[in-house]
Amino acid sequence: MSALAATLPHAICAELERGWPLGAYAAHDGLRYLVLGSDGVRMVHVPRGDEPCRAVSALVPAFAWDEREMADEWGVAFDALPDPRALWARGGALPDAIVASGPGVTRIVVGPVHAGIIEPGRFTFSSGGETVVHLDAQLGFSHRGLERAFAGADPLTLAPRVARICGACSASRSLAYAIALETIAGAQIPDEVELARLLLAELERIANHVFDLAVCASAAGWAPGFTTGLGLKEAAMRLAATACGHRLFFDAIVPGGVRAEILADRTALRVQVDALAARVEEFLRVLFDNASLVSRWTGTGALSFDEVRALGVLGPAHRASGGTIDVRDALPYGAYRWLPTDVALETTGDVGARCRVKAAELRTSFTFVRRALDQLGASALPAPTPLALRCGTSTSVVEGPRGAETISVAIEDGVVTRLHAIAASYRTWPAVALATMRGIVPDFPLVNKSFNLCYACADR
Amino acid sequence: MGRFARSLGIRHLVCGSCNGCEQEMNALFGPDVDITQHGWELVASPRHADVVTVTGPMTEAMREPARRTLEAVPEPSVVVAVGDCALGTGVFAGSPDVGAGAGVELGAAVAVPGCPPAPEAIVAGLRRAAEVLDRR
Repeated sequence: MSALAATLPHAICAELERGWPLGAYAAHDGLRYLVLGSDGVRMVHVPRGDEPCRAVSALVPAFAWDEREMADEWGVAFDALPDPRALWARGGALPDAIVASGPGVTRIVVGPVHAGIIEPGRFTFSSGGETVVHLDAQLGFSHRGLERAFAGADPLTLAPRVARICGACSASRSLAYAIALETIAGAQIPDEVELARLLLAELERIANHVFDLAVCASAAGWAPGFTTGLGLKEAAMRLAATACGHRLFFDAIVPGGVRAEILADRTALRVQVDALAARVEEFLRVLFDNASLVSRWTGTGALSFDEVRALGVLGPAHRASGGTIDVRDALPYGAYRWLPTDVALETTGDVGARCRVKAAELRTSFTFVRRALDQLGASALPAPTPLALRCGTSTSVVEGPRGAETISVAIEDGVVTRLHAIAASYRTWPAVALATMRGIVPDFPLVNKSFNLCYACADR
Repeated sequence: MGRFARSLGIRHLVCGSCNGCEQEMNALFGPDVDITQHGWELVASPRHADVVTVTGPMTEAMREPARRTLEAVPEPSVVVAVGDCALGTGVFAGSPDVGAGAGVELGAAVAVPGCPPAPEAIVAGLRRAAEVLDRR
């Protein structure tokens, strides 16, 4: 390892000793490796010359997908890339899956079209009997070439498209994009606006976490928990509509602030929040009081801290395996600067731990929403701050429902020259495969749903 | 009442959607909307489907799997385009790497606009699909 480390850019190793790998991408003048440090996002720039770049993922698996994407999408030549296959389908064809072979080992291929309302992905299991020997998760079926399409766009009119990179974490990504642009413009955002944005981001977390718990009940075979959770998801979506006029928060958070007319009826909002909080509390009680359900969750799909560290996993899956980073707490932004985050901490790393983290975070989210409403009172929300965006680069990171949502944006002469989004789902998919390799094929739906990742924001 | 007695087997096909339409499709099966009360169900194979709901602008990687899925659906069948992207009018329309819209490319007979459409609009679209099926 030390011999390999010696050949890697020293700066990356130095940053990783102090920080957590976020991701990497190709910019016009070289590669950027991003590390979440204690004082902000640290960026290591690796120039692109005639020589192939050293593959950092040979030492740090967290960057494996990023480097495959750089090689495949942006033509970066790497020396000794551990997995040199294309990350995504090319011309409609995926590269062969990695499979295990040996006596009694069989192959099960699932997808890209699934039996349900599920985004497309191909999962190739190698199994010996029921035991999973290997799982290769291949995504990219939702790859829309968005980052290329975004180049040349006006940064403000691009916002609705950034909001629709993924429908499940739209508020979080819109917030990350807004912060990146506001940083470039050097704009100050009023406290009331920051409170409104925190409120929307926490409502998005509530909608996602209740659904995640519902599907963890379903995947463990407990239909009443699923139906109850689906009802709560619907209530959360209606709450979103009351808060911002859209059930999925699209276009509610905009560069410079929030769209006009959001949080107009705060009395109705407060009533709905209180009603939903009571229903969620009862939901959590029946879930965690169900001994057979909890038993099914216990020990299934466990990941150690060293594993989530190697893969750079953040979010609930990080905090379920002994990780202590929550971006709201580690690098507070917006109203999180004065409303502190109670970080959920679990250590067993299994389905149960991921569910317990989400349960704790649901309670924290309701506390945030109520405190934001209290502090907002009846104060008016000012119109978005005008942003002067001529030139500059910025990387921002927020805590989305599934973990760190990172946006890097470069602007020249008033247009976006490069936008790269590192989704928590993108970062976490390899961890789903690893957790699945701990168990049996029939456990896959449960292990998978305990992460409940998106495909659209991973594929872009 | 026609041949289908308005009961439908539904297969859902995601062709580059952002997952927003999928959240509204999921809402159809929650206790508030619950389309199973109409005798409608989500089926586990295209061989069991009468209706295929499609979302997204269509990606290069999904074009062939989508074609093969529709090929597996027995006739008569009907394709329902759910959402603006499937209708070719979403925010990504005209983007170099996406198609004309999943519904446009796959010959949808029923259009449900919206970004995303509300569950009630999707239910209305499925009702129209049942009427189309009765005539096919």
